[in-house]
Amino acid sequence: MPSNKIRFIHSEKVIEIYNPDPNETLLNFVRTKLKKTGTKEGCSEGGCGACTVVLGELKDNDINYIAVNSCITFLPTLDGKQLLLVEDLVSKDNSLHPVQEAMVKCHGSQCGFCTPGFVMSLFSMFKNYTQFKEDIIKDSIAGNLCRCTGYKPIIKAAKSLGTKNKIDHFVKNKKKTVALLKKIGNQSIAIYKKGKRYFAPRYVSELKKILKKNANSKLLSGGTDLSLIVTKDRKDIESIVYMNSIKELNYIKNNNKYIEVGATTSLRNFETYIKKYYPDFNKILKRYGSIQIRNVATIAGNIATASPIGDNLPLLLALDSQIVLQGVKKSKILPINDFFINYRKTKLKEGQFIHSIRIPIFDKNIFKAYKISKRFDDDISSVCAAFNLIIENKKIKKIKIAYGGMAAIPKRAIYCERVLLNSSITKNVIDKAKNALEKDFLPISDMRASSKYRKIIAKNLLEKCFLEISEKKSVGIYN
Amino acid sequence: MNKEFFINEETPHESGIKHVSGQAYYTDDIPELPGTLYGAIGWSKRAHAIIKKINLEEVEKSEGVISVITSKDIPGRNDVGPVYDGDPIFPQKAEYFGQPLFAVAATSTELARKAVLKAKISYKSLKVINNIQEALKKKSFVLKENKIKNGEPIKKINEAPYKLKGNFTTGSQEHFALEGHVAFTIPQEDNDYKVYSSTQHPSETQQIIAKMLKQKSNTITVEVRRIGGGFGGKETQSFIFAAICTLLSKKTKRPVKLRIDRDDEIIITGKRHDFYSEYEVGFDELGVIQGLNIKLASKCGISPDLSGAINQRALLHLDNAYYIENLLVENYLCKTNTASNTAFRGFGGNQGMMVIENIIDNIARSLKKDPAEIRRRNFYQNYKKNITHYGMKIEDNVIHPIFDKLMKSTHYKGRRQEIKKFNSVNKYIKKGIAITPVKFGISFTTMHLNQAGALVHIYSNDGSCHINTGAIEMGQGTYTKIAQLAAAELGLPLNKIKVSATRTDKVPNTSASAASSTTDLNGAAMLDAIAKIKKNLFLFVKRKYKIKNGQAIYENGSVKFKGKTFKFNKLIKEAYLNRVSLSSSGFYSTPKIRFDPKKFYGRPFLYFCYGAAVSEVIIDTLTGENKILKVDILHDAGKAINPAIELGQIEGGFVQGAGWLTMEEVKWKNNGMILTHSPSTYKIPAVNDMPENFNVEIFKEGKNKENVVNKSKTTGEPPLMNAMSVFFAIKDAISSVGNYDIQPIIDAPATPEKILMSINNLKTKL
Repeated sequence: MPSNKIRFIHSEKVIEIYNPDPNETLLNFVRTKLKKTGTKEGCSEGGCGACTVVLGELKDNDINYIAVNSCITFLPTLDGKQLLLVEDLVSKDNSLHPVQEAMVKCHGSQCGFCTPGFVMSLFSMFKNYTQFKEDIIKDSIAGNLCRCTGYKPIIKAAKSLGTKNKIDHFVKNKKKTVALLKKIGNQSIAIYKKGKRYFAPRYVSELKKILKKNANSKLLSGGTDLSLIVTKDRKDIESIVYMNSIKELNYIKNNNKYIEVGATTSLRNFETYIKKYYPDFNKILKRYGSIQIRNVATIAGNIATASPIGDNLPLLLALDSQIVLQGVKKSKILPINDFFINYRKTKLKEGQFIHSIRIPIFDKNIFKAYKISKRFDDDISSVCAAFNLIIENKKIKKIKIAYGGMAAIPKRAIYCERVLLNSSITKNVIDKAKNALEKDFLPISDMRASSKYRKIIAKNLLEKCFLEISEKKSVGIYN
Repeated sequence: MNKEFFINEETPHESGIKHVSGQAYYTDDIPELPGTLYGAIGWSKRAHAIIKKINLEEVEKSEGVISVITSKDIPGRNDVGPVYDGDPIFPQKAEYFGQPLFAVAATSTELARKAVLKAKISYKSLKVINNIQEALKKKSFVLKENKIKNGEPIKKINEAPYKLKGNFTTGSQEHFALEGHVAFTIPQEDNDYKVYSSTQHPSETQQIIAKMLKQKSNTITVEVRRIGGGFGGKETQSFIFAAICTLLSKKTKRPVKLRIDRDDEIIITGKRHDFYSEYEVGFDELGVIQGLNIKLASKCGISPDLSGAINQRALLHLDNAYYIENLLVENYLCKTNTASNTAFRGFGGNQGMMVIENIIDNIARSLKKDPAEIRRRNFYQNYKKNITHYGMKIEDNVIHPIFDKLMKSTHYKGRRQEIKKFNSVNKYIKKGIAITPVKFGISFTTMHLNQAGALVHIYSNDGSCHINTGAIEMGQGTYTKIAQLAAAELGLPLNKIKVSATRTDKVPNTSASAASSTTDLNGAAMLDAIAKIKKNLFLFVKRKYKIKNGQAIYENGSVKFKGKTFKFNKLIKEAYLNRVSLSSSGFYSTPKIRFDPKKFYGRPFLYFCYGAAVSEVIIDTLTGENKILKVDILHDAGKAINPAIELGQIEGGFVQGAGWLTMEEVKWKNNGMILTHSPSTYKIPAVNDMPENFNVEIFKEGKNKENVVNKSKTTGEPPLMNAMSVFFAIKDAISSVGNYDIQPIIDAPATPEKILMSINNLKTKL
């Protein structure tokens, strides 16, 4: 029987909550119920990092510490995890954690409001890495905004951690914490509260049963987009099915023909895996969002929300990926190119869920992807472009091109592809292909970019792609 | 432990340990009383409209709602305008998208925020003026225009061998303090109210609430321990939230907290003024400016707010570090249907400086000279050419040594050549470099604001010292610096000094923590209070121990009189037993300054801050993407009280300025609706936007010529303008696309889009 009680570890104790509000954010819970006010509200949309907390998750006999934005995490998803807040980093004898000490010593705080978030992001880095190189530091705090310092003293503090003793009080308590985590993380959850429902099944079989009865549920798999319905639109989500307790769906396999990624695989795990096959995919994913976002966001979530600017999507389109859809009874494999119907509309029907994604492995192909945005870190694309092609004897033998940010859905550039297919790569051909993009896309103007700019860079990215192929090196400023 | 031990010392921020452990209380963290209610604001969905009807039935019925307030609930003044009226709390006519119309108190913030969405409001839409151009055309202004003239500008322009004409825009900027607006009001007996507000200006908060409630100021107490960033955004923009919060508290007779959601905050509050300028400049073959004629218009939003002073500061900084003898400026303060633009670090000064920097850059490019050379050639001199266009003699000029030292230490000239070489062999990727100077005047240009008070107590049992001033701790480290000054003055360790929350019932009639002058003013007032206590002690010792005149020396926890030394604690205790006052208020008013705004003449500033920066950037000419590669800053902090804090201000100010000039872009729809109201659409610099190579140094020879605390110079606003170098380095990189032959045209912010469009525009002229 599923339980209506969630359990998590906080301050070395198991905390039990009966029937929590499925729409309550973890931030709200921490500040108003736990009465711990160190964790701050900065934006309520996972865009500033002030609310960063760290969750401890059991992994084999170890604990994986991941930084998350508590403002867009729903409280019930805490079930089975350890909750670490900025206050918890201080030892019982009141001594500061090495991360906290370094921040004080290096003048890492000015107004101090973003500081707890930075401390937690750095703490997660401290636990997950042994060496704190500049790129790791920057990746770890790119989701934390600071308006005072300009970041320099924070980076200095992070660098100084390399010489610090890694044995903190969490290491000392690990055995006990692991034992507690093993005790609590094993139940399915079903909550019915004031007309709101929440389910956290542990098996696909269970999920199917829930979906049969609650077909109109919102599937929560990361929720970095979904949660904004509550925090920004201020609406209730009536029925939530939390996917990420289903371990069966959290996997990456490879049969040498394609990579199969389970629906609940976090982008963070996926980006590490995909690097070997498609380095550009990894590069784009690192800029998909902050570490707090990538820790919880999933590839299936990104596909299902079908945002025209979802950065995975043009890449998956260009790679001719397939989506494995699972219904209550049947499953179906659909090319991703057929999946998106209209703005945020897909072929996913009520009662269905995305089981996995299959990404073909093209040994001989050239795969390139680009993302253009106002800010390097944690920004939404003005345009995202992906190119997948084979060149033989200076002729383009196969080509698939897809763009994000250019239409109501992420979309292939069919006319452009036609110009290029079986053509030699000449300036003339590329110019024609660039012009064909005008036929493919009629982008809109919005706060991120004008239609005109989008058209120009869409063309220029095509040019850049062939330029880089011919020069056999990347041409850009982020090398 | 001598005086030097505390001053010039890199003491960590006084709240550093509390910051990193989550123990520092911001307004939203103050433990709530039982029965506390939570507010939310309902706002206009039209940018300009007559409000025909507000139907709040559904709001009242919404879950958890205890009370709803509208303009009818305001007993007194329905306005929060600081200088002029024009900022109604709840207006009769909506003048911008996001203007508050009503508010609710409910049992939780979530329920309050849900409830306000249920209002049914019918509007009759009116025509919207959305930008400077339209406002100029329709003569829509918030205040009368300013005209200043010095010398014979038109004649000199006509006589000059070279002339240039053009126009230039700098964009708006959202403050984005990480702590949003928040207030917490607790009703007291006698209808008094205790108000906690995240504000830079508690005294004006107090007055505005008193006027709104038609009560005396002595019934309202405002307290601020710290705020999570201000940057000017909480100088006046916090008032409406404190007012509404208190009004809800009055109506419900319960404590009320009003915490504004990030989107609502960006939608409701004003930002940095956009400025548009048209100029005509005459110069000689050496690039020396002969005459300058500028039309300068700013986007003020719906009301004057602080726009008068902001535009004045723009006019006072149109010269930056340059001697411009013949100058004519017409300044227009445009009224638009947008939130009332307001103070933002630099306060118009930086916008004025960008105008002249862009002109000088264009002069240099038209003469095919290194802009650094032309900049240098136009600098104010020490013994001649040292009177500003407003008649102030510059007596503390150190721009030459700073500029020259930085040029040399950064190998500017060599790097410029290397960059040219790089650009000649790279078709798509281009680099650019620029050096820009900063000269920024310190003092409020509104004369009466240049005053401060303080209250100092020394407790008899342990000699510990308690300090209150009007200073707001907003990250700039003013509490730390004031404590350091006090510790040095009393010869005590820092742990015996407590600077505590700023409160209107402890120090009255304070000025906003603004104009970079917070520590200058409040530190000096605090020292005055200590001097008075010391005087009491001296008279007592003199009387009791028959000591002749002389100086008392306070150091290492003891006090030395001529021939007699006391432990500090013992002296304090003894003084107490002998009925000597150990508490005093202190006061300071800035000397020397005087300014006649009508004649635009006088000495508005006590002193100037100087700095310079060299920035090197790289751009992608296919996409407009850009990156700051290397920045070197040399900045004058006088004799710094706490060099680590000053460095933090200089670095942070630079990055904030770079954000303003590159990626931060506030966008509106034509109907007046703001589009960029959250971190997902409005991007402030993140960690990778910090320059890859970032070197900041304090000008070691720096010392304030004026009698400012510790001979220091403030670092509040001036470092922001070092970021001008980034913009002109980008312009330099764009210029390379046309082999430096064609004048690039680009407005700020230099977003990837603007950069690419500028490049493409330049290419059409090739």
